[in-house]
Amino acid sequence: MNALRVPSRGVLRAWGFAFAVLSVILPALPLGPVFAQPPLPLAVLWAAYGWAAEDESGWRAPITLAVLGLLHDQLAGGPYGLFVVLYLSAYLVGRIAAQAMSAPNLVSLWGGFIVTALITVGIAYLVAPLGLGRNVSVAPYAEAAIITAIMFPLVRPLYMSASASLRPGARR
Amino acid sequence: MARRRSGVRRAGAGRRIPPGVVLGIVLAIGAVILVAVQSNNRPATEAAQQAGDGAAGAAGQVATRPARASGDFFARLGGMWSATSRIEELENENRELQAWRELAERLAERNARYEALLRMPVDSFGEGADVENSIAAQLVLDSGGPFTRTLVANAGSDHGVRVGYIAVNENGLIGRVVSVGRRSARVLMLDDYNSRIPVMGEASRVRAVMAGQATRPPDLYTHPFQMQAPRLDFIVGAQSLREGERIVTSGDGGLYPRGIPVGVARSSGDGQWRVALAASQRPIDFVRILPFVGVERPEDAPVSDAGPPLASSSSVSAVGRETLPPPPTAPSAEAPRPRRVASQDAAATPTNSPAPAAPPAVTPPPAEAPAPSQAGTPQE
Repeated sequence: MNALRVPSRGVLRAWGFAFAVLSVILPALPLGPVFAQPPLPLAVLWAAYGWAAEDESGWRAPITLAVLGLLHDQLAGGPYGLFVVLYLSAYLVGRIAAQAMSAPNLVSLWGGFIVTALITVGIAYLVAPLGLGRNVSVAPYAEAAIITAIMFPLVRPLYMSASASLRPGARR
Repeated sequence: MARRRSGVRRAGAGRRIPPGVVLGIVLAIGAVILVAVQSNNRPATEAAQQAGDGAAGAAGQVATRPARASGDFFARLGGMWSATSRIEELENENRELQAWRELAERLAERNARYEALLRMPVDSFGEGADVENSIAAQLVLDSGGPFTRTLVANAGSDHGVRVGYIAVNENGLIGRVVSVGRRSARVLMLDDYNSRIPVMGEASRVRAVMAGQATRPPDLYTHPFQMQAPRLDFIVGAQSLREGERIVTSGDGGLYPRGIPVGVARSSGDGQWRVALAASQRPIDFVRILPFVGVERPEDAPVSDAGPPLASSSSVSAVGRETLPPPPTAPSAEAPRPRRVASQDAAATPTNSPAPAAPPAVTPPPAEAPAPSQAGTPQE
């Protein structure tokens, strides 16, 4: 019976963090196109959105996202700061979405994440040419962001709960 | 917790922004500035990137070891499963290949005779590169990201790798070394959007510039997540290019050596020519880095002539000093090339304009003799 028990929140968060780190490292290993990004989702976007909703005012979330972004920049060979901007913008948009949602459910959380992912695509469109030149294509990033948004309901429990009691902007 | 909640929920002038959000905003602004600063390729960021590549490469080598080992294991296991049928298949193939080998040897011999008759220059692999002293390396990191297409190999300046060297594998060209650390080198792949390579058709000699794109075609069903083949721009004589023709580097511009196989020409529906890359036929594992220094930077090759600048003296004398060929020298014993051979060369070169008739008594100086690699090449 113990095996069927729902894992604790801490365990789920640890799994979510592990997925986020793996989504940064795995595309950089020469393991073939299946592990490239896309089709591999940008799990750090899930983490940024979930941590923004649940980690109300702590400094750990932005610092962790910045470190993961720098690691992603290093492994991808791109300019330092590009993925930092994308992940932190997802975090900040997630904060705004958390404040705006009074009674979140799965659909509203999913919609909020889709908006967040699309905003990061727009930010990538603006920031990537600064470091990579104006010929850079944002289409693969948009493709990865769309895949990430589609898969969000499957992994939502790892990053956030839909209950209103944990959310900073929720009415109680 | 209650205090924090009230801080978030309080409206109006007393509302305060949580420190996490402030930190996030500050870090995001700092990251944008960092991205903008790096567009100038500062040495500090390059050094940090190279050091990071070295550490990440070492970690990647360790991390991929189990995957490589298990891949070998499963390949061996699969090979044992169908060993008997595979041996029979290979024996049949070997018998067929024996006949093809004899035919190929006869054709190669005949081809060599024709080339000697026409005085064709030898099309060698990587002409200009130091192929004999190539550096073997293993691929340890693949950018795999959505923006750039680069690879990291586990050979760096300690192994003799320098920026500008050429990375190839057994199938063909992979890219060019753009950054070198002590024990790692980052290679810009051919399909990166920054990559522009002068190429030519091997048979038609049609020149073009191959431009990488790092985008994907929309057909997710037939080519799921495969990179789009680089397109050919600035094609000179596109009507002569043939479907399936081998594309090799032309060596123009001095950035790449001549004659390295790049891929096969493919015509897309919209009239655009693309190159199916030879190196991407299978996952890239081991690479060979060819020492090649094409065109040196002006800073690295200072002009030794310390004469006055052009504007400081008579333009006539300055232009004359720069452009007039050296005076003809008297024929000597070291210039044994007879006049008859030179005229044969001119006759063998199918040009539209008639060859100028040189006075028979004057032998061209050795400095003006055509280079062996260019003489007799019809399209050049």
